[in-house]
Amino acid sequence: MRKELWFGFSLMAILLAGCAFMLLQAASITTGHLGLLMLGLVVVAIMLGFPTAFTLMGMGMLFGWFAYQSVNPDLAVAQILDLMVQRTYAVMSNDVLIAIPLFVFMGYLVERANLIEKLFRSLHLTMARVPGSLAVATIITCAIFATATGIVGAVVTLMGLLAYPAMIKAGYNVKVGAGAITAGGCLGILIPPSVLLIVYGATAGVSVVQLYAGAFFPGIMLAGLYVGYIIVLAKLKPSLMPPLSEEGRRVALPSFAQRLSANGDRALTSLVRGLKGQRNADVPARTIAFQLGVTLLPALTIAVLLVLVFRTVTAPAVVQDVGGLQAMGFAGDAERFDQSSGGLAEPPPDEGTLQEPPVEPANAAQVAEEARIAADKALVQKTESEKAVADAAVRVDAPAAFWIALAICTALLLIFYLKFNFVRLEIFKMLLSSFFPLALLIIAVLGSIVFGLATPSEAAAAGALGGLLLAAAYGRLNYPVVRDSVFLTAKTSAMVCWLFVGASIFSASFALLGGQEIIEKWVTSLGLTPIEFLLLSQVIIFILGWPLEWTEIIVIFMPIFVPLLPQYGVDPLFFGLLVALNLQTAFLSPPVAMAAFYLKGVSPPHVSLNQIFAGMLPFMGIQVIAIFLLYVFPQIGLWLPSVLYGR
Amino acid sequence: MQKILLAVDRFSTWVGQAFSWLIVALTLFVSWEVFSRYVLGAPHAWAFDVMTMLYGTMFMMAGAYTLSKNGHVRGDVLYGFFKPRTQAAIDLTLYIVFFIPGVVALAWAGYNYASDSWVINEHSNITADGPPIYPFKTVIPLAGAVLLLQGFVEIIRCIICLRQGYWPSREQDVEEVDVGKLKEMVHVKDEDIAQLDQYVVRAPK
Repeated sequence: MRKELWFGFSLMAILLAGCAFMLLQAASITTGHLGLLMLGLVVVAIMLGFPTAFTLMGMGMLFGWFAYQSVNPDLAVAQILDLMVQRTYAVMSNDVLIAIPLFVFMGYLVERANLIEKLFRSLHLTMARVPGSLAVATIITCAIFATATGIVGAVVTLMGLLAYPAMIKAGYNVKVGAGAITAGGCLGILIPPSVLLIVYGATAGVSVVQLYAGAFFPGIMLAGLYVGYIIVLAKLKPSLMPPLSEEGRRVALPSFAQRLSANGDRALTSLVRGLKGQRNADVPARTIAFQLGVTLLPALTIAVLLVLVFRTVTAPAVVQDVGGLQAMGFAGDAERFDQSSGGLAEPPPDEGTLQEPPVEPANAAQVAEEARIAADKALVQKTESEKAVADAAVRVDAPAAFWIALAICTALLLIFYLKFNFVRLEIFKMLLSSFFPLALLIIAVLGSIVFGLATPSEAAAAGALGGLLLAAAYGRLNYPVVRDSVFLTAKTSAMVCWLFVGASIFSASFALLGGQEIIEKWVTSLGLTPIEFLLLSQVIIFILGWPLEWTEIIVIFMPIFVPLLPQYGVDPLFFGLLVALNLQTAFLSPPVAMAAFYLKGVSPPHVSLNQIFAGMLPFMGIQVIAIFLLYVFPQIGLWLPSVLYGR
Repeated sequence: MQKILLAVDRFSTWVGQAFSWLIVALTLFVSWEVFSRYVLGAPHAWAFDVMTMLYGTMFMMAGAYTLSKNGHVRGDVLYGFFKPRTQAAIDLTLYIVFFIPGVVALAWAGYNYASDSWVINEHSNITADGPPIYPFKTVIPLAGAVLLLQGFVEIIRCIICLRQGYWPSREQDVEEVDVGKLKEMVHVKDEDIAQLDQYVVRAPK
């Protein structure tokens, strides 16, 4: 028999022996022990390889029936049927899980929009001067693309087809390249909008919005650590990642740029000269105007941003409000003054005319006239005071920080345009059509969720629509692409949501049997400190990450861990971030790392699986460092939620 | 036999694929609702109910489709290392022990649940004047029935595999990571990869 089978069977044997030992050890077998037995059996059954959703459903039903049977045998069947259908219906009408199919749909559409080729090329040209540029560009491409799609397999395969050949041809070490691709491809698990965090949020009852806000910086930090590691490694050992050759860096200039280069290499001045001078040779004015527009985009963007900032800074809403209130006050006083003299509708009108209008119509008219004059006076006063306030508002000076920022921006723009030659213009245009749309999509989706403008499901729907538009913009919005995305979305969401159905039936039975209480008692009796508890739970989750998939771990084991958290004063949000980071490590841990197998599938025959695993190890080490950093400085994850939601 | 199996496969697939288009409806509907609420200032009270209904119906009805394409997540530590006959024996046992009782119970309970809902003409109580909810609850028994049908097909597949020693074929479907399609998308040919091998071999270890 093979090694793997021995390993698996001995694991199962240990589990079963543990269950038997527990049952024999217990003074009296309660239903709680049955619950633990169920937990042990379900892990064994999952390891046997039967579809997990139905294992959970069947086992939950059988053991749930036992639980009800021990209380009231007559009602047991009816009760367990009720429990099942209600649990199922709860998943069907779960308002958190709605976001899953929508995000998955967005992911498939973005993946099929086929902008990864351009994205990678533009990024690696942008990074050409950075040491290890190809590997750095790989990580960044992966981070952005994996964030938008969230599909590890597809991202690793695509990067294996695009970036890996480029790296190997440039003389990169086979292992380093493999590590960068696999590590980068797994970033989408952590960086929001990730499906893992939605599933965790739905299971643990933590707000998905806060999870997204919390996972943002740890995700960025992890990507940053990867990039930092690559740059340092490339500096220390240039033989592993030789700098790009001239040929690899060259950007083919279009004909207009070649002709205009005669005016000087600086894109901005050269284009302007070309526009008005006679030296534009035979380049059409429209081309030049268009290129000039593209060239001016950064300046325009910054100008618009600065104007917006200036307006908010110099006309603060608070000052204007106070002014408005004062004006209202003046006007109100004036009106009251006029009223007391004119006598319109005083609340207790002694000589009030309104009480008997039919008797003295003339008087009423006169009063109305007086009232009108009074109102006019008040209006004049009001406008005058408003004018004064408006003057005051204009006089509000922008803070010094703004002028400093303006100066810095101008200086940066100047430097930017001094360095901005035609080659850079070409790269900028490539970025504009690959990097910026994707970044904009992610920022719009994430921003609207995190700042509370939309619920995750609404933002996910908008993101899916954005994916459709993106596919349309790249000319890939045709029937086969949409059809494939739709069918894949249905299959993936059915997989996750049916698993959720099974797991919620299972965990209901587990709670019914009282397994949770036994575990709680046992954990409490261990007398762990919060740190020890966190470490222990993360180690358990890490080990479970070998035989089980992340979906299974979250839906089966989080209902057991999360109720323990308050005892140790651990924030479920913080725990969720640790779990997400931890499970991401499981994607990179040999021998089960899926990413390695996807890469092996598209790499040249002489790249062995062991080489890929060896390349992944340093990145796994970085992940452990990242988990450690998050332990020591929880603020990395909790700062943003605390600022935004006052946690 | 194989013909009947594939026919049932096709039926589950057809049902699942038909309902999977609801994701497009969901996307467009939610986007429209967001636009209508924030830009036109006209929110709809029933939007939330409709959202859950579209989502719930889609994933429930796609359950059998996913099963027919072997798409439900499995623990793959050992399964992949087993011989087909061992795989079939385990699957057959667990289909009978877990799947059939679980899904029969779900479909039966769902039938009663939905029929109660029809009898009282139940409407959603999330908003004051909610939309009718009995069609949505009817999805549970329907999805359970299709799933059960597909489950019987899978059981027969297990028996066939036990007899002949290899798994009977399934019909092709879109795959999440279709290497061939991805290669085509980024214009990489097999020759390119093979050519690359020389760099790997030449490189100092």
